[in-house]
Amino acid sequence: MPEPAHGDAIFAPFWEAAGAAELRLPRCLDCGHRMYPPAPACTECLSANLEWAVLSGRGSVVSFIVYHRAWQPAWSDRIPYNVALIALEEGPQIVSSVTGCPLEEIAVGMPVAVTFEERDDRVLPMFTPRGEA
Amino acid sequence: MPDIIEQRVAVLGIGGTVQGEHPGRTADSLAVEAFRLALADSALAKSEIDGLLVQESFGGQGKFTEIGRQLGINPIVGGTIEASGATCAALIQYAALLIGSGMANVVACVYGTNQRTNRNVFATSRDEIADAYGMFNPGALMALSFRRRMTLYGETEEQLSTIALNQRAAAQLNPNAFMRTPLSYEKYMAAPYLIAPLRGYDFCQVTDGGFCIILGARDRARDLPHALVGIRGIGRQDCLRGWEDHESLLQRHQRKAAAMLQERSGRRPAHIDLLYIQDAYTPAVLNALENYGFCDEGEAGEFIQDGRTALGGALPVNINGGQTSETYMVGWGHTVDAIRQLRGDAGERQVTGARTAMVTYSGGLRDHAIAAIYERDDA
Repeated sequence: MPEPAHGDAIFAPFWEAAGAAELRLPRCLDCGHRMYPPAPACTECLSANLEWAVLSGRGSVVSFIVYHRAWQPAWSDRIPYNVALIALEEGPQIVSSVTGCPLEEIAVGMPVAVTFEERDDRVLPMFTPRGEA
Repeated sequence: MPDIIEQRVAVLGIGGTVQGEHPGRTADSLAVEAFRLALADSALAKSEIDGLLVQESFGGQGKFTEIGRQLGINPIVGGTIEASGATCAALIQYAALLIGSGMANVVACVYGTNQRTNRNVFATSRDEIADAYGMFNPGALMALSFRRRMTLYGETEEQLSTIALNQRAAAQLNPNAFMRTPLSYEKYMAAPYLIAPLRGYDFCQVTDGGFCIILGARDRARDLPHALVGIRGIGRQDCLRGWEDHESLLQRHQRKAAAMLQERSGRRPAHIDLLYIQDAYTPAVLNALENYGFCDEGEAGEFIQDGRTALGGALPVNINGGQTSETYMVGWGHTVDAIRQLRGDAGERQVTGARTAMVTYSGGLRDHAIAAIYERDDA
């Protein structure tokens, strides 16, 4: 099993949304700034008036890497696995993983869309290739 | 006195322990040993040290109060300062401000670690989201950076290998280097990926050791036993909002540190005889060569070929062996080696006539970019 989640309350809405098959990130209700990673106040205007706004889930691969070493024992049966940086249509770039295509087909710039996969005790947003929109 | 405050400051002493493995030693004891060596190098009396700046180290070692107690000094100013992988340069920046302003006379900057013996495996992630996707080890960000370079600029793993190979070749001539076994292109390519596109040879050598750099007023340095090496300029640009700054994946914020450094030092890339780039992961060298103006965007992979940045090349880079071969030590070895070279004390690796050296640091890929230029003063 992966290590237990850090339990940082600031991330809880991210996992709750994923459980409902939604991708959500904080958005400032005062200035409109969208944030990744989450922070207790808007990193632009410092307002604490935030909402977890739903995102389209469309984006593209900024870059990706493939782990051939399991830095933690729980990951030893998952290697090789990829970690990707995804640029979302709405602006933020988030850490995720590409699924639904072989590792060799993942490419920088590839258009992707969010999908949701159950892993262990929670649902993870992942990204799968989509045709040019 | 020069208007640029750091130009009032010189390096009075450098010290480093054996780099590698020190079973049974505390990190603090390695910091103390490095301080003792730097003090001997400076020929100063211990009582002259009135400032102490410390880098915290693995396992909660490296606390200012405790290091000061073990060194047996009573400073007027100091502290433990954190700037991730760029802490060495941050300490020097603060030391220069303290000395240049006249607040302190002689400031010792120290770091000791026993993280190899104590098995710091760098298996953590940044936060709960990164953790969920298995994004472990700080090398992940640099691997993302290089993968993007491969697509944008057509750079190859073969081009990248040049960095580890050049550095190992230099390390073979460096008695202070931890890894001196020969490395060939074939051996490099045959090594398994750790985080593709990076292989084991692209990662720093985690080591135990200590380093100390003692700084003081330029005028004080004229009485000392070795060649005078002064600070010519410092540039810094942090990017603590790196996740929100999409240019920072290629460390483009370093361009602002470079501009500040150029303005303060009056030195351009053409003046630089020796370049040291913090290379906990080798792609850092490519990003920094571009961002500090040594080549154009997208050209670094080609720029480093044909020995240009090797020992004996037109622009020697990391000729201590870098962090991939000399020692990790978050890059402290780079500044120490730059001073050694500018003094003319680098033995077989000595670059004849080296007068001006630039040492650049990055912390956490994006969080910090700090660079300094050091220059020998022959007057």
